[in-house]
Amino acid sequence: MSNTKYILHTIILFAIQLFILDNIQFHSYVYMNIYILSILILPITMKKTSVLIFAFLAGFLIDIMSNTMGIHAAATTCIGFFRPLFLPNNSGTVEVATNRRKERFGWVFNYMFSLTLIFNVVLVMTETFSFDNFGITILRILFSTVVSCVLMLLYYFIAIKEKQK
Amino acid sequence: MRNILKLILKYHFIIVFILLEIIAMSLVVMHNSYQNMLFFRHTSAISTSISDHLPAFEQYFNLKKENSYLEDENLKLKNELEKIRTEIRFSFSDSLAENRSFDVDYVYLPAKAVNVTINRTKNYLTIDKGSNDGVNENMAVCSYQGVVGMIKNVTNNYSVVLPLINTSLRLSAKIKKNNYYGSLQWDGEDYRYSYLRDIPFHVNVEQGDTIVTSGFSSIFPEGEIIGYVESVDRVTANFLLIKVELATDFNNLYQLYIISNKNREEQTELEEKAYNE
Repeated sequence: MSNTKYILHTIILFAIQLFILDNIQFHSYVYMNIYILSILILPITMKKTSVLIFAFLAGFLIDIMSNTMGIHAAATTCIGFFRPLFLPNNSGTVEVATNRRKERFGWVFNYMFSLTLIFNVVLVMTETFSFDNFGITILRILFSTVVSCVLMLLYYFIAIKEKQK
Repeated sequence: MRNILKLILKYHFIIVFILLEIIAMSLVVMHNSYQNMLFFRHTSAISTSISDHLPAFEQYFNLKKENSYLEDENLKLKNELEKIRTEIRFSFSDSLAENRSFDVDYVYLPAKAVNVTINRTKNYLTIDKGSNDGVNENMAVCSYQGVVGMIKNVTNNYSVVLPLINTSLRLSAKIKKNNYYGSLQWDGEDYRYSYLRDIPFHVNVEQGDTIVTSGFSSIFPEGEIIGYVESVDRVTANFLLIKVELATDFNNLYQLYIISNKNREEQTELEEKAYNE
């Protein structure tokens, strides 16, 4: 994916997040966050620290816009921190190694779901800021993770993924 | 310095992560009123629990000072009490006491034990007050537990006390509840127990009764606690032998006070005069 394309996707994702998803009052159990896809689709070869700082800035931007100072920043920084764990060790080999469509989907799903789960754990816990009603907190985390994951997968497979031959 | 830089470079990813998280969390706490409220509720709970417990620890550091304050206070109160006792005695007196000043009989001085023996038959006790502090022979020495003994020898800065656990000390003592008096003398064995003799056999004495000084000797004021009755034996036909558990623990002596009787000389002079006639 070229840089311009990548920047375009980032802008689109932020626009969707800020102008569409943030205006949907779905339910207090569900947070829809598609913008974190812009962190997930960063090149594998990008430096870890740069990803971390980018993630922080992305979360901070959303915080400013939606007036939730620091909550998103904390969560996205966590994504930046844990992202290397879910990436294959040899950078760039993923494209080669996972040629088959099925495996590829499995890897993308696994990667997205894990990081979205981490993101939502931090996000919801930071917002709740207590361990009271922990069951409800877990439900919110799970619902938010599933919904965000579905949205991101949709976007990924519709807009980003290059068609296989 | 180089190593520190190396370390920072090595772990820069984690350090940056932690820094960013700290920034994010401080933003959360500073700018969101709900989280702010929760955060400060918890931190204030912690800080109040710390500040609740801290004085308890700090008190230990002041114990010594506190102790000496209490000691001074105690002596002051004892002297005060003596004054009041004297006043009361004079106010109910039926004698022609108008000329007499309201002078106290007994004065209390603080002292500390510097050397104690407990395992001989003639034990002695050294205290850190001498004639420079106004200590004279035949003054009484008490601890806060009870009677210790009387002063035998005095130097400038030290005095030797003849304690209750010395076989050569005989002390006039009485049973507090019925005022029968006898003489207390140690048998030289166990430093915790002494023996009260010369109590008539018909006197009702029970275990746990309090034995106090009689006040006859003009050394001790009346009513200083000596000990408690441990057991009663009728050894001779007419008299009881009472085993007394001493109130003072001679193995654990430190804070003492000396009691001086201002009118002692007058009393002894008078008594000597009477006996010699």
